[in-house]
Amino acid sequence: MGSKQVTEKALSMLKSLPRLSLANLRDNPGSKITQKRGRAQHGGDKHGAGNKGSGQRMNYMRLGYETGNNPFYLRMPVELTYYKGHHLRREYPPLSLHQLQSLIDKDRVDISKPIDLASIVKTGLYTFKPDQNQFGIHLTDEGADIFTAKVHIEIQWASEQVIATIEKNGGVITTAYYDPHSLFLLRNPKKFFEAGLAIPRRMIPPPDAIEYYTSAKFRGYLADPEKISKERVKLAQKYGYKLPQIEVDSNYEMLCVRKDPRQIFFGLEPGWVVNLKEESILKPKDEELLTFYAS
Amino acid sequence: MNLCIRTKCLRYSLINSFYRFSTTTEVVDQNEKVLIDDSDETKVREDEIEKKRNISRLSTSHYNIENGRKPYEEPKHWTHIKLKYYRKMYGKYGSASGVDPNLCWPTKEEIQEKLEYESVAYPYTIQQMMKMAQEKRLADQQAIEKRDRDVAAKFEKLQQWKKELNDKVAKKAAEVHAAKERKERLVEEVRRHFGFTLDPRDERFQEMLAKREKEQKKMEKIAKKEAKEKVMIAKLQQQNVDLAGQTAK
Repeated sequence: MGSKQVTEKALSMLKSLPRLSLANLRDNPGSKITQKRGRAQHGGDKHGAGNKGSGQRMNYMRLGYETGNNPFYLRMPVELTYYKGHHLRREYPPLSLHQLQSLIDKDRVDISKPIDLASIVKTGLYTFKPDQNQFGIHLTDEGADIFTAKVHIEIQWASEQVIATIEKNGGVITTAYYDPHSLFLLRNPKKFFEAGLAIPRRMIPPPDAIEYYTSAKFRGYLADPEKISKERVKLAQKYGYKLPQIEVDSNYEMLCVRKDPRQIFFGLEPGWVVNLKEESILKPKDEELLTFYAS
Repeated sequence: MNLCIRTKCLRYSLINSFYRFSTTTEVVDQNEKVLIDDSDETKVREDEIEKKRNISRLSTSHYNIENGRKPYEEPKHWTHIKLKYYRKMYGKYGSASGVDPNLCWPTKEEIQEKLEYESVAYPYTIQQMMKMAQEKRLADQQAIEKRDRDVAAKFEKLQQWKKELNDKVAKKAAEVHAAKERKERLVEEVRRHFGFTLDPRDERFQEMLAKREKEQKKMEKIAKKEAKEKVMIAKLQQQNVDLAGQTAK
């Protein structure tokens, strides 16, 4: 009885194992010598090293050395603290209000729906690199005086002037943090969905960004909504405009939509599997998964 | 050859034209049964025809991908039996890939690993971080205020310190000036003694100078002693006066 089970198991294992083919054959490690120093017409002469100098002698100069000149990187006096830790800082590639207005005018973004990072990237006119410490959009105030669109926008960094401009036009603005992994998903959702994975949770911001994303003044996504509404009134008084009433707006429901701090895509919750081929959404039912994705 | 085809064409067209002019219509049998032959033989034949129709010269896998099917029916490589590949096949080809969609969610081990990673990567909750940020801001503010207070306190004393320093410098300068003057006077006296200008490096001059200096020192000593005595006498007299005053009372 037992031996039969074992043989069956072995057989099923063997069946699942790949067949031997040219695609999975490989040389023994170290059995192949790849580099050859060709002679005569087979790459002879200088052997790709060029004529004289560092190339031939392989005594390459150290980085930044300029053969005796005062090197560029030492030519200017430096402020030692100015660039300190710059390679670790978060970067937010800018998008101006003028550019945003242009995108809206050209119908590249739909303002009848909430705009987020994914919809801006989808225009094809804004890119960022999550692998190079770039964390999304910094909406700048260039073109604030000609910005007229009423939008519900979620960006990663904004100044007071920008917030005032958006709110003056009756729009809603939120600053939200996404961890690099979520940024990859937002940049190319199709690629992620085709990997056949469940949507992950969005992670919390790092300690040095917590103050910004919890402040009502900068409309942080972790701020208290009541405080935000107070700040809206305060900002309107400061900049001297009449705050349009959102409650009586025809798009009130659209303007009120907010992402959960754990949510990455609008309308999709963490833990769901999206299949583009079948145009279906699969939701988990397992208790453990549900608790994991709710945490 | 051409002629032949032409004759054929002519013949067909002629027949067609005859049909067109005929008065009776063709009878179409509505109840005609369509027979689908699905015997093995026909199937094999159909397959062969299909095979011949495929003139793309693509490999099977590429042909499959091109036609929206998953490339391999059975694994060809060790990566083809990995979870990641199964998930990818489901993500790309849906349930037609034959992959159980349950595989799309993380396994128990993956969840545990993820939770462990998160406990290290995100050690603080949002509330804790907010509190820490608040404390840091407060501490920075207090440090700035303390520095401001220190500077203000020092600024109050600045004028006094300036005066003290200036006095000290002036005193030192006066001392140096006095010493220089004395020396000059001595030299002048020596010169007067000899009655003619003598080289200061001359031996006689040096001798005389030493002598004069000695005298000067002696005089100074005596003057000092006298001054001391004077002070003492004045003190004694004062005491006497005081005593007299007390007794008178």
